[in-house]
Amino acid sequence: MPKEQANWSPYDNNGGSCVAVAGADYCVIAADTRMSTGYNILTRDYSKICKLADKCVMASSGFQADVKALQKHLAARHLIYQHQHNKQMSCPAMAQLLSNTLYYKRFFPYYSFNVLGGLDNEGKGCVFTYDAVGSYEKVGYSSQGSGSTLIMPFLDNQLKSPSPLLLPAQDAVTPLAEAEAIDLVKTVFASASERDIYTGDKLEIVVINADGIRREYMDLRKD
Amino acid sequence: MSKSVIETPPKGGFSFDLCKRNEMLSKKGVNPPSFRKTGTTIVGLIFQDGVILGADTRATEGPIVCDKNCEKIHYMAPNIYCCGAGTAADTEAVTAIVILLCLCSDMVSSQLQLHRYHTGRESRVVTALTLLKRHLFNYQGYVSAALVLGGVDVTGPHLHTIYPHGSTDTLPFATMGSGSLAAMAVFESKYREGLTVSSPIPFFWSLIFLFQRNEGIELVTEAICSGIFNDLGSGSNVDICVITKGGKEYLRNHLQPNPRTYTSSKGYSFPKKTEVLLTKIIPLKEKVEIIEGGDAMEE
Amino acid sequence: MDLDMNVNAPHSMGTTIIGVTYNGGVVLGADSRTSTGMYVANRASDKITQLTDNVYVCRSGSAADSQIVSDYVRYFLHQHTIQLGQPATVKVAANLIRLLSYNNKNMLQTGLIVGGWDKYEGGKIYGIPLGGTLVEQPFAIGDMHQLVVKAVSLAIARDGASGGVVRTVVINSDGVTRNFYPGDKLQLWHDELEPQNSLLDILNAPSPEPMNI
Repeated sequence: MPKEQANWSPYDNNGGSCVAVAGADYCVIAADTRMSTGYNILTRDYSKICKLADKCVMASSGFQADVKALQKHLAARHLIYQHQHNKQMSCPAMAQLLSNTLYYKRFFPYYSFNVLGGLDNEGKGCVFTYDAVGSYEKVGYSSQGSGSTLIMPFLDNQLKSPSPLLLPAQDAVTPLAEAEAIDLVKTVFASASERDIYTGDKLEIVVINADGIRREYMDLRKD
Repeated sequence: MSKSVIETPPKGGFSFDLCKRNEMLSKKGVNPPSFRKTGTTIVGLIFQDGVILGADTRATEGPIVCDKNCEKIHYMAPNIYCCGAGTAADTEAVTAIVILLCLCSDMVSSQLQLHRYHTGRESRVVTALTLLKRHLFNYQGYVSAALVLGGVDVTGPHLHTIYPHGSTDTLPFATMGSGSLAAMAVFESKYREGLTVSSPIPFFWSLIFLFQRNEGIELVTEAICSGIFNDLGSGSNVDICVITKGGKEYLRNHLQPNPRTYTSSKGYSFPKKTEVLLTKIIPLKEKVEIIEGGDAMEE
Repeated sequence: MDLDMNVNAPHSMGTTIIGVTYNGGVVLGADSRTSTGMYVANRASDKITQLTDNVYVCRSGSAADSQIVSDYVRYFLHQHTIQLGQPATVKVAANLIRLLSYNNKNMLQTGLIVGGWDKYEGGKIYGIPLGGTLVEQPFAIGDMHQLVVKAVSLAIARDGASGGVVRTVVINSDGVTRNFYPGDKLQLWHDELEPQNSLLDILNAPSPEPMNI
């Protein structure tokens, strides 16, 4: 008698792309708002971007149920942190917490692909990029999700960052001005939605700088 | 010499040698690398004076759009056209299916042409239908083409659907491909018998005819748009082909509802070349012995 | 995702077909549903196919297979009619189908019912199920036409793979009559709701009352 095995999967892929770009005094985090499964669109207006702390937001694609569970977990942990320390968590601290949270489920992972963006304690833009089980890296820019294979080479070409192995360590932030970074993000999403069927409908851009957090929207292809 | 007598020369056509092997492998759990179907929305309907065919223009390879404006309405005969969808349940890439569809329609259209030379008469839709279904039945579903065939011949307007296994249906309105459910929803709620005209006044006939045809085109466009916007496998533009008793009108990119959403005002350039890490030139003469002269090449 | 409709499955006619002989001729009946997995690919298909002037066949099983078999048999019968100089009998038609079904039994997934009228034996029905067996069906008495419509509509009511309309063909010495019974005019057997017009009509009405269904 052959062993029976589950013929269903606990995971789904709801698609979508995320991008984050760090500058000297700002951070831009963007994601499309399409949520889909297979060849079906579930909704055209679902925000993949979640504010975790005053100066820290996360954009996530992958399996929406896992993303939602992860966001709730991080929110709860952040609330405990606030009660214990009477302050907001810093962006690098949240980055470490996210990594630990993901690795905690190493053998039944959250199927979520995240980029974390915000300002560090000096007010400089920072971006952290992750895999599904918590391996992470501080970078100047990053892209995750279904369109990342289309977006990442373009970003690499436009914003080549110094090697992380250089000594002394060089700053990873991009040389762009805030407006230029937003323009770049709009361009990469317009391009990704031309060729990736899971990216489209609307682009949500979150900009964090010394003034606080600002949101912008732009239409993308709806087919 | 006796060997060449035994071995028959290859006869051409498709080879299915590996199908059995692949089937056996997948039964044993060695699955082929990817498993995706290619998306499409194709539709057709009969209106009072003829047939309208419609198609989207997206071709996908997995989650990537590999052609944003491809043609899915193929020529069969001057009075017959055919929409092709590759609803491949197997592992074939879209290019393979496009080639299969082209092969399929080219083969049939040239057979029809020869038949016209032979008989000196206009091709009939049933002839095209029979040729296509025979071909597809022969390949037992391995030529995974799903078609909507439409045309007007001496017996009137006809619309048929043909499935990969070679079965055919005759319908007043039809949809195929991954967007077929979205498009059928539009047809089922809005299609009317013949899309008829209420006024029989002959003077206005031409005017009314125009309006009536536009009504049909509008319904087909709406059905295709439903596929384009609600099915991820379909997208880009709407192609339409109207076939009437007198002739036909191929409206390539009749509607372009998906223009690029954003273009940077300053534009982007890609100036950086591949990073040069090391430059060292070794003349080949130092490494190999060169024999000058020698015999000129003979034929 | 469990909403997989399996649209790519080969077409099969999860079907209701019936044939009855009566005093003077035969009645053939069929529903009109063709499905691919869960999707109804054609809700108005004609499963009663003409072979000659006086012989028809009801098709079931794989749509592609039953179509190809009846296409071949129609072609053979036309040749046979020309060679003989008179109409082919129902028995000949049934035998041709049997021959194809039996010789290609490992390729074909189709069961057929042949029915017709000829001057030698009158009305005759033959069933040719999956392997190529040929069975002559017995004679019945009564109003066969109403019986056929009733039987098919009862099957439509209970069987999810059957549906749409009821089509019948009556063949006797006078010729052939086709009949059509729309799905919304069929008798209700199990306290079903009355057939409704489209919800869209209700919503598009001047004063839409969607809750008054």
